[in-house]
Amino acid sequence: MEALIQQYPWLDELLMGFIGLSWKHVVMWAVGALLIWLAAAKDYEPSLLLPIGFGAILANIPHSSAISQVKGEEGFLFVLYNAGIGNELFPVLIFVAIGAMCDFAPLIRNPKVMLFAAAAQFGIFATAVAATFLGFSFEHAASIGIIGAADGPTTIYVASRFAVELLGPLSVAAYCYMSLVPVIQPPVIKAITTSSERKIKMGYENVEPVSQTTKFLFPIMITLIAGMVAPISVALIGSLMFGNLVKESGVTDNLGACAENELANLVTLLLGIVIGGTMEAERFLNVQVIMIMALGAVAFVFDTAGGVLFAKLMNMFSSVKINPMIGACGISAFPMSGRVIAKMALKEDPTNFIIQHAIGVNVAGQVASVVAGGLVLALIPALAKM
Amino acid sequence: MSATMKALTMMAIALPTMFAVILIFMAATTGLHKMFPAPAEEEGGDEDDDD
Repeated sequence: MEALIQQYPWLDELLMGFIGLSWKHVVMWAVGALLIWLAAAKDYEPSLLLPIGFGAILANIPHSSAISQVKGEEGFLFVLYNAGIGNELFPVLIFVAIGAMCDFAPLIRNPKVMLFAAAAQFGIFATAVAATFLGFSFEHAASIGIIGAADGPTTIYVASRFAVELLGPLSVAAYCYMSLVPVIQPPVIKAITTSSERKIKMGYENVEPVSQTTKFLFPIMITLIAGMVAPISVALIGSLMFGNLVKESGVTDNLGACAENELANLVTLLLGIVIGGTMEAERFLNVQVIMIMALGAVAFVFDTAGGVLFAKLMNMFSSVKINPMIGACGISAFPMSGRVIAKMALKEDPTNFIIQHAIGVNVAGQVASVVAGGLVLALIPALAKM
Repeated sequence: MSATMKALTMMAIALPTMFAVILIFMAATTGLHKMFPAPAEEEGGDEDDDD
Protein backbone atom coordinates (compact mmCIF):
# COMPACT_ATOMS: atom_id res chain seq x y z
CA MET A 1 0.00 0.00 0.00
CA GLU A 2 2.80 2.39 0.97
CA ALA A 3 4.57 1.70 -2.30
CA LEU A 4 1.35 2.41 -4.15
CA ILE A 5 0.93 5.70 -2.34
CA GLN A 6 4.53 6.63 -3.05
CA GLN A 7 3.90 5.99 -6.71
CA TYR A 8 0.57 7.81 -6.76
CA PRO A 9 0.73 10.48 -4.01
CA TRP A 10 -2.80 11.69 -4.77
CA LEU A 11 -4.08 8.33 -3.46
CA ASP A 12 -3.07 9.38 0.05
CA GLU A 13 -5.33 12.39 -0.23
CA LEU A 14 -8.24 10.30 -1.48
CA LEU A 15 -7.84 7.44 0.98
CA MET A 16 -6.74 9.31 4.11
CA GLY A 17 -10.10 8.71 5.77
CA PHE A 18 -9.83 4.93 5.34
CA ILE A 19 -6.12 4.78 6.12
CA GLY A 20 -6.55 6.79 9.34
CA LEU A 21 -9.55 4.79 10.55
CA SER A 22 -9.16 2.80 13.76
CA TRP A 23 -11.52 0.75 15.92
CA LYS A 24 -11.65 3.67 18.36
CA HIS A 25 -13.24 5.88 15.70
CA VAL A 26 -15.86 3.23 15.00
CA VAL A 27 -16.63 2.90 18.72
CA MET A 28 -17.09 6.66 18.90
CA TRP A 29 -19.47 6.55 15.94
CA ALA A 30 -21.45 4.01 17.96
CA VAL A 31 -21.37 6.33 20.98
CA GLY A 32 -22.60 9.19 18.79
CA ALA A 33 -25.30 6.98 17.32
CA LEU A 34 -26.35 5.89 20.82
CA LEU A 35 -26.74 9.52 21.91
CA ILE A 36 -28.75 10.31 18.78
CA TRP A 37 -30.92 7.24 19.42
CA LEU A 38 -31.50 8.25 23.07
CA ALA A 39 -32.53 11.71 21.86
CA ALA A 40 -34.70 10.60 18.94
CA ALA A 41 -36.22 7.36 20.18
CA LYS A 42 -36.28 7.85 23.94
CA ASP A 43 -36.71 11.65 24.12
CA TYR A 44 -33.78 11.99 26.56
CA GLU A 45 -32.79 15.70 26.46
CA PRO A 46 -33.10 15.62 22.64
CA SER A 47 -32.10 19.23 22.05
CA LEU A 48 -28.71 18.52 23.63
CA LEU A 49 -28.02 14.85 23.09
CA LEU A 50 -28.81 14.90 19.38
CA PRO A 51 -26.31 17.67 18.50
CA ILE A 52 -23.76 16.13 20.91
CA GLY A 53 -24.13 12.76 19.23
CA PHE A 54 -23.70 14.19 15.75
CA GLY A 55 -20.77 16.34 16.91
CA ALA A 56 -19.12 13.18 18.26
CA ILE A 57 -19.41 11.57 14.83
CA LEU A 58 -17.97 14.66 13.12
CA ALA A 59 -15.03 14.67 15.52
CA ASN A 60 -14.23 11.01 14.92
CA ILE A 61 -13.93 10.90 11.17
CA PRO A 62 -10.18 10.60 10.59
CA HIS A 63 -8.64 13.94 9.55
CA SER A 64 -12.05 15.60 9.99
CA SER A 65 -11.98 19.16 8.70
CA ALA A 66 -14.68 20.06 11.25
CA ILE A 67 -12.19 19.93 14.12
CA SER A 68 -9.05 20.91 12.23
CA GLN A 69 -6.69 23.08 14.26
CA VAL A 70 -4.32 23.79 11.39
CA LYS A 71 -3.66 27.51 11.17
CA GLY A 72 -5.67 29.06 8.38
CA GLU A 73 -7.76 25.89 8.01
CA GLU A 74 -9.48 25.83 11.40
CA GLY A 75 -12.60 23.65 11.48
CA PHE A 76 -15.93 25.22 12.35
CA LEU A 77 -16.21 23.19 15.57
CA PHE A 78 -12.78 24.42 16.67
CA VAL A 79 -13.75 28.02 15.82
CA LEU A 80 -17.04 27.68 17.70
CA TYR A 81 -15.26 26.08 20.65
CA ASN A 82 -12.95 29.06 20.98
CA ALA A 83 -15.82 31.48 20.41
CA GLY A 84 -18.26 29.97 22.89
CA ILE A 85 -16.81 27.38 25.24
CA GLY A 86 -13.18 28.39 25.67
CA ASN A 87 -14.32 31.83 26.79
CA GLU A 88 -17.41 30.48 28.68
CA LEU A 89 -19.82 32.53 26.55
CA PHE A 90 -22.30 29.78 25.60
CA PRO A 91 -23.09 28.59 29.16
CA VAL A 92 -23.67 32.19 30.20
CA LEU A 93 -26.03 32.79 27.27
CA ILE A 94 -27.90 29.60 28.17
CA PHE A 95 -28.35 30.98 31.67
CA VAL A 96 -29.92 34.15 30.24
CA ALA A 97 -32.38 31.89 28.42
CA ILE A 98 -33.09 29.76 31.51
CA GLY A 99 -33.66 32.91 33.56
CA ALA A 100 -36.22 34.08 31.03
CA MET A 101 -38.03 30.75 31.36
CA CYS A 102 -38.11 30.73 35.19
CA ASP A 103 -41.01 31.86 37.32
CA PHE A 104 -39.69 32.42 40.83
CA ALA A 105 -43.13 33.12 42.33
CA PRO A 106 -43.39 29.75 44.16
CA LEU A 107 -39.99 30.38 45.73
CA ILE A 108 -40.85 33.97 46.72
CA ARG A 109 -44.11 32.78 48.30
CA ASN A 110 -42.32 30.21 50.41
CA PRO A 111 -38.60 31.05 50.70
CA LYS A 112 -38.04 28.16 53.11
CA VAL A 113 -37.92 25.82 50.11
CA MET A 114 -34.45 27.20 49.38
CA LEU A 115 -33.15 25.20 52.34
CA PHE A 116 -34.05 21.93 50.63
CA ALA A 117 -32.33 23.14 47.49
CA ALA A 118 -29.19 23.88 49.50
CA ALA A 119 -29.27 20.41 51.06
CA ALA A 120 -29.73 18.81 47.66
CA GLN A 121 -26.36 20.19 46.54
CA PHE A 122 -24.68 17.74 48.93
CA GLY A 123 -24.05 15.42 46.01
CA ILE A 124 -21.61 17.89 44.46
CA PHE A 125 -19.25 17.78 47.39
CA ALA A 126 -19.69 14.11 48.30
CA THR A 127 -18.97 13.13 44.70
CA ALA A 128 -15.90 15.36 44.58
CA VAL A 129 -14.54 13.49 47.61
CA ALA A 130 -15.43 10.13 46.03
CA ALA A 131 -13.66 11.13 42.79
CA THR A 132 -10.42 11.82 44.65
CA PHE A 133 -10.54 8.25 46.02
CA LEU A 134 -10.54 7.08 42.40
CA GLY A 135 -7.35 8.99 41.69
CA PHE A 136 -8.66 12.20 40.11
CA SER A 137 -6.83 15.44 40.85
CA PHE A 138 -8.63 17.93 43.08
CA GLU A 139 -9.55 20.24 40.16
CA HIS A 140 -10.92 17.34 38.13
CA ALA A 141 -12.73 15.83 41.13
CA ALA A 142 -14.44 19.13 41.91
CA SER A 143 -15.46 19.48 38.25
CA ILE A 144 -16.88 15.94 38.30
CA GLY A 145 -18.77 16.78 41.50
CA ILE A 146 -20.48 19.64 39.69
CA ILE A 147 -22.46 17.05 37.71
CA GLY A 148 -24.41 16.87 40.99
CA ALA A 149 -25.66 20.40 40.41
CA ALA A 150 -27.87 18.72 37.77
CA ASP A 151 -27.23 21.83 35.78
CA GLY A 152 -25.66 21.50 32.33
CA PRO A 153 -24.44 25.08 31.85
CA THR A 154 -22.82 25.18 35.31
CA THR A 155 -21.09 21.88 34.59
CA ILE A 156 -19.78 23.20 31.26
CA TYR A 157 -18.74 26.51 32.83
CA VAL A 158 -16.72 24.85 35.62
CA ALA A 159 -15.28 22.15 33.35
CA SER A 160 -14.17 24.65 30.72
CA ARG A 161 -12.20 26.43 33.41
CA PHE A 162 -10.75 23.58 35.45
CA ALA A 163 -11.10 20.31 33.51
CA VAL A 164 -11.17 21.24 29.86
CA GLU A 165 -9.94 17.79 28.80
CA LEU A 166 -12.97 16.24 30.53
CA LEU A 167 -15.50 18.68 29.06
CA GLY A 168 -17.09 16.14 26.70
CA PRO A 169 -17.71 13.31 29.18
CA LEU A 170 -18.74 15.71 31.96
CA SER A 171 -21.33 17.38 29.74
CA VAL A 172 -22.66 14.09 28.43
CA ALA A 173 -22.91 12.70 31.99
CA ALA A 174 -24.70 15.84 33.26
CA TYR A 175 -27.31 15.86 30.49
CA CYS A 176 -27.80 12.08 30.47
CA TYR A 177 -28.44 11.89 34.19
CA MET A 178 -30.71 14.95 34.10
CA SER A 179 -32.88 13.09 31.65
CA LEU A 180 -32.71 9.98 33.85
CA VAL A 181 -34.15 11.73 36.93
CA PRO A 182 -37.40 9.68 36.68
CA VAL A 183 -35.28 6.52 36.85
CA ILE A 184 -32.74 7.56 39.50
CA GLN A 185 -34.77 9.47 42.10
CA PRO A 186 -37.77 7.21 42.92
CA PRO A 187 -35.77 4.16 44.15
CA VAL A 188 -33.48 6.35 46.26
CA ILE A 189 -36.45 8.12 47.82
CA LYS A 190 -38.22 4.83 48.52
CA ALA A 191 -35.10 3.44 50.15
CA ILE A 192 -34.85 6.25 52.71
CA THR A 193 -38.51 7.08 53.41
CA THR A 194 -41.42 5.12 54.84
CA SER A 195 -44.74 4.79 53.10
CA SER A 196 -46.41 6.94 55.76
CA GLU A 197 -43.82 9.69 55.21
CA ARG A 198 -44.48 9.64 51.47
CA LYS A 199 -48.20 10.06 52.18
CA ILE A 200 -47.79 13.25 54.22
CA LYS A 201 -50.08 15.93 52.85
CA MET A 202 -48.99 19.54 52.64
CA GLY A 203 -51.53 22.33 52.79
CA TYR A 204 -51.79 25.52 50.81
CA GLU A 205 -52.88 27.79 53.67
CA ASN A 206 -51.58 31.35 53.89
CA VAL A 207 -50.39 31.30 50.31
CA GLU A 208 -50.12 34.95 49.40
CA PRO A 209 -49.94 36.09 45.78
CA VAL A 210 -46.67 37.68 44.67
CA SER A 211 -46.70 41.25 43.41
CA GLN A 212 -45.13 42.17 40.09
CA THR A 213 -42.83 44.61 41.91
CA THR A 214 -41.47 41.79 44.06
CA LYS A 215 -40.90 39.58 41.03
CA PHE A 216 -39.13 42.48 39.32
CA LEU A 217 -36.84 43.28 42.26
CA PHE A 218 -36.08 39.65 43.18
CA PRO A 219 -33.45 39.01 40.45
CA ILE A 220 -31.63 42.24 41.24
CA MET A 221 -31.57 41.42 44.95
CA ILE A 222 -30.33 37.85 44.45
CA THR A 223 -27.58 39.01 42.08
CA LEU A 224 -26.33 41.58 44.57
CA ILE A 225 -26.29 39.14 47.50
CA ALA A 226 -24.70 36.24 45.58
CA GLY A 227 -22.25 38.59 43.88
CA MET A 228 -21.06 40.04 47.18
CA VAL A 229 -20.54 36.56 48.67
CA ALA A 230 -18.81 35.04 45.65
CA PRO A 231 -17.92 37.63 42.99
CA ILE A 232 -16.70 34.82 40.74
CA SER A 233 -20.31 33.60 40.50
CA VAL A 234 -21.58 36.90 39.08
CA ALA A 235 -21.33 35.68 35.48
CA LEU A 236 -23.54 32.67 36.28
CA ILE A 237 -26.07 34.12 38.71
CA GLY A 238 -26.03 37.49 36.93
CA SER A 239 -26.91 36.01 33.56
CA LEU A 240 -29.62 33.79 35.09
CA MET A 241 -31.15 36.74 36.88
CA PHE A 242 -30.74 39.07 33.88
CA GLY A 243 -32.88 36.69 31.84
CA ASN A 244 -35.46 36.68 34.62
CA LEU A 245 -35.39 40.48 34.96
CA VAL A 246 -36.04 40.86 31.23
CA LYS A 247 -39.01 38.53 31.58
CA GLU A 248 -40.46 40.14 34.71
CA SER A 249 -39.84 43.79 33.86
CA GLY A 250 -43.03 43.97 31.82
CA VAL A 251 -41.43 46.44 29.42
CA THR A 252 -39.16 44.10 27.44
CA ASP A 253 -41.51 41.31 26.50
CA ASN A 254 -39.88 40.99 23.08
CA LEU A 255 -36.43 40.53 24.67
CA GLY A 256 -37.83 37.98 27.12
CA ALA A 257 -39.47 36.05 24.30
CA CYS A 258 -36.26 36.20 22.28
CA ALA A 259 -34.20 34.94 25.25
CA GLU A 260 -36.44 31.99 25.99
CA ASN A 261 -36.94 30.99 22.37
CA GLU A 262 -34.45 32.13 19.74
CA LEU A 263 -31.47 32.60 22.06
CA ALA A 264 -32.12 29.32 23.90
CA ASN A 265 -32.52 27.39 20.67
CA LEU A 266 -29.56 28.90 18.86
CA VAL A 267 -27.09 28.55 21.72
CA THR A 268 -28.32 25.04 22.59
CA LEU A 269 -27.79 24.03 18.97
CA LEU A 270 -24.23 25.35 18.91
CA LEU A 271 -23.38 24.23 22.45
CA GLY A 272 -24.40 20.64 21.77
CA ILE A 273 -22.50 20.16 18.55
CA VAL A 274 -19.38 21.88 19.92
CA ILE A 275 -19.38 19.62 23.00
CA GLY A 276 -19.79 16.63 20.72
CA GLY A 277 -16.82 17.95 18.78
CA THR A 278 -14.63 17.63 21.88
CA MET A 279 -15.36 13.89 22.13
CA GLU A 280 -12.41 12.64 20.13
CA ALA A 281 -11.68 8.94 20.56
CA GLU A 282 -8.26 9.53 22.15
CA ARG A 283 -9.85 11.69 24.84
CA PHE A 284 -13.07 9.76 25.32
CA LEU A 285 -12.22 6.09 25.23
CA ASN A 286 -10.51 5.58 28.54
CA VAL A 287 -11.23 4.32 32.04
CA GLN A 288 -11.58 7.89 33.33
CA VAL A 289 -14.72 8.41 31.27
CA ILE A 290 -16.31 5.22 32.63
CA MET A 291 -15.51 6.42 36.14
CA ILE A 292 -16.99 9.86 35.37
CA MET A 293 -20.22 8.28 34.16
CA ALA A 294 -20.41 6.19 37.34
CA LEU A 295 -19.63 9.19 39.54
CA GLY A 296 -22.37 11.18 37.79
CA ALA A 297 -24.92 8.63 38.96
CA VAL A 298 -23.42 8.77 42.46
CA ALA A 299 -23.82 12.56 42.44
CA PHE A 300 -27.52 12.36 41.64
CA VAL A 301 -28.06 9.69 44.32
CA PHE A 302 -26.29 11.82 46.95
CA ASP A 303 -28.27 14.91 45.87
CA THR A 304 -31.55 13.09 46.24
CA ALA A 305 -30.59 11.57 49.57
CA GLY A 306 -29.28 14.93 50.86
CA GLY A 307 -32.53 16.74 50.10
CA VAL A 308 -34.80 14.01 51.45
CA LEU A 309 -32.81 13.46 54.64
CA PHE A 310 -32.73 17.21 55.30
CA ALA A 311 -36.52 17.33 55.00
CA LYS A 312 -36.77 14.43 57.45
CA LEU A 313 -34.46 16.31 59.81
CA MET A 314 -36.68 19.39 59.60
CA ASN A 315 -39.70 17.24 60.40
CA MET A 316 -38.07 16.26 63.70
CA PHE A 317 -38.14 19.89 64.84
CA SER A 318 -41.36 21.09 63.23
CA SER A 319 -44.97 20.60 64.26
CA VAL A 320 -46.12 21.08 60.66
CA LYS A 321 -44.85 18.03 58.81
CA ILE A 322 -43.31 18.22 55.36
CA ASN A 323 -43.51 15.44 52.82
CA PRO A 324 -39.79 14.54 52.74
CA MET A 325 -39.98 13.64 49.07
CA ILE A 326 -40.02 17.33 48.13
CA GLY A 327 -36.44 17.56 49.41
CA ALA A 328 -35.38 15.57 46.36
CA CYS A 329 -36.62 18.35 44.06
CA GLY A 330 -33.83 20.66 45.20
CA ILE A 331 -31.75 19.72 42.18
CA SER A 332 -31.70 21.91 39.12
CA ALA A 333 -33.41 19.46 36.74
CA PHE A 334 -36.47 21.64 36.23
CA PRO A 335 -39.37 20.89 36.03
CA MET A 336 -38.73 17.17 35.66
CA SER A 337 -37.78 16.50 39.27
CA GLY A 338 -40.80 18.39 40.65
CA ARG A 339 -43.14 16.47 38.42
CA VAL A 340 -41.57 13.09 39.22
CA ILE A 341 -41.99 13.68 42.95
CA ALA A 342 -45.56 14.97 42.54
CA LYS A 343 -46.40 11.81 40.60
CA MET A 344 -44.82 9.66 43.31
CA ALA A 345 -47.00 11.36 45.93
CA LEU A 346 -50.11 10.73 43.84
CA LYS A 347 -49.12 7.11 43.42
CA GLU A 348 -48.88 6.70 47.21
CA ASP A 349 -52.14 8.52 47.78
CA PRO A 350 -54.29 9.68 44.85
CA THR A 351 -55.58 12.60 46.94
CA ASN A 352 -52.14 13.98 47.78
CA PHE A 353 -51.33 16.97 45.55
CA ILE A 354 -47.87 18.37 46.36
CA ILE A 355 -47.02 19.66 42.89
CA GLN A 356 -46.83 23.33 43.92
CA HIS A 357 -44.51 22.61 46.83
CA ALA A 358 -42.38 20.34 44.66
CA ILE A 359 -42.11 22.92 41.87
CA GLY A 360 -41.22 25.60 44.43
CA VAL A 361 -38.29 23.51 45.68
CA ASN A 362 -37.33 22.70 42.10
CA VAL A 363 -37.20 26.41 41.16
CA ALA A 364 -35.09 27.05 44.25
CA GLY A 365 -32.76 24.35 42.94
CA GLN A 366 -32.03 26.58 39.94
CA VAL A 367 -30.70 29.27 42.26
CA ALA A 368 -28.96 26.94 44.71
CA SER A 369 -27.09 25.06 41.97
CA VAL A 370 -25.68 28.30 40.62
CA VAL A 371 -24.68 29.41 44.12
CA ALA A 372 -22.99 26.03 44.65
CA GLY A 373 -21.27 26.39 41.28
CA GLY A 374 -20.05 29.85 42.27
CA LEU A 375 -18.65 28.56 45.55
CA VAL A 376 -16.86 25.71 43.78
CA LEU A 377 -15.44 28.18 41.25
CA ALA A 378 -14.16 30.33 44.09
CA LEU A 379 -12.75 27.45 46.15
CA ILE A 380 -11.01 25.38 43.48
CA PRO A 381 -8.20 27.88 42.76
CA ALA A 382 -7.88 28.79 46.43
CA LEU A 383 -7.54 25.19 47.62
CA ALA A 384 -5.51 24.00 44.62
CA LYS A 385 -2.65 26.25 45.75
CA MET A 386 -2.43 24.53 49.15
CA MET B 1 -2.43 18.61 51.16
CA SER B 2 -3.87 15.58 49.33
CA ALA B 3 -6.67 15.84 46.79
CA THR B 4 -9.07 14.11 49.19
CA MET B 5 -8.25 16.54 51.97
CA LYS B 6 -8.80 19.45 49.58
CA ALA B 7 -12.17 18.02 48.53
CA LEU B 8 -13.17 17.50 52.16
CA THR B 9 -12.07 21.05 52.98
CA MET B 10 -14.12 22.33 50.06
CA MET B 11 -17.15 20.48 51.43
CA ALA B 12 -16.54 21.77 54.95
CA ILE B 13 -16.34 25.37 53.72
CA ALA B 14 -18.90 25.34 50.90
CA LEU B 15 -21.84 23.60 52.57
CA PRO B 16 -22.10 25.91 55.61
CA THR B 17 -21.42 28.95 53.40
CA MET B 18 -24.15 27.82 51.08
CA PHE B 19 -26.67 27.49 53.90
CA ALA B 20 -25.61 30.92 55.20
CA VAL B 21 -26.16 32.46 51.75
CA ILE B 22 -29.50 30.69 51.43
CA LEU B 23 -30.57 32.01 54.86
CA ILE B 24 -29.71 35.52 53.69
CA PHE B 25 -31.69 34.89 50.49
CA MET B 26 -34.63 33.69 52.59
CA ALA B 27 -34.58 36.71 54.87
CA ALA B 28 -34.22 39.13 51.97
CA THR B 29 -36.95 37.42 49.93
CA THR B 30 -39.34 37.41 52.88
CA GLY B 31 -38.62 41.10 53.46
CA LEU B 32 -39.14 41.93 49.79
CA HIS B 33 -42.42 39.99 49.67
CA LYS B 34 -43.71 41.81 52.75
CA MET B 35 -42.54 45.20 51.51
CA PHE B 36 -44.40 44.90 48.22
CA PRO B 37 -47.58 42.89 48.84
CA ALA B 38 -49.71 42.04 45.84
CA PRO B 39 -52.69 44.31 45.32
CA ALA B 40 -56.04 42.52 45.38
CA GLU B 41 -56.39 42.55 41.58
CA GLU B 42 -53.09 40.63 41.13
CA GLU B 43 -54.44 37.63 43.04
CA GLY B 44 -54.78 34.64 40.82
CA GLY B 45 -52.46 36.23 38.28
CA ASP B 46 -49.45 34.16 39.15
CA GLU B 47 -50.66 30.62 39.23
CA ASP B 48 -48.08 27.93 38.67
CA ASP B 49 -47.98 25.47 35.87
CA ASP B 50 -49.36 22.46 37.70
CA ASP B 51 -50.63 20.06 35.12
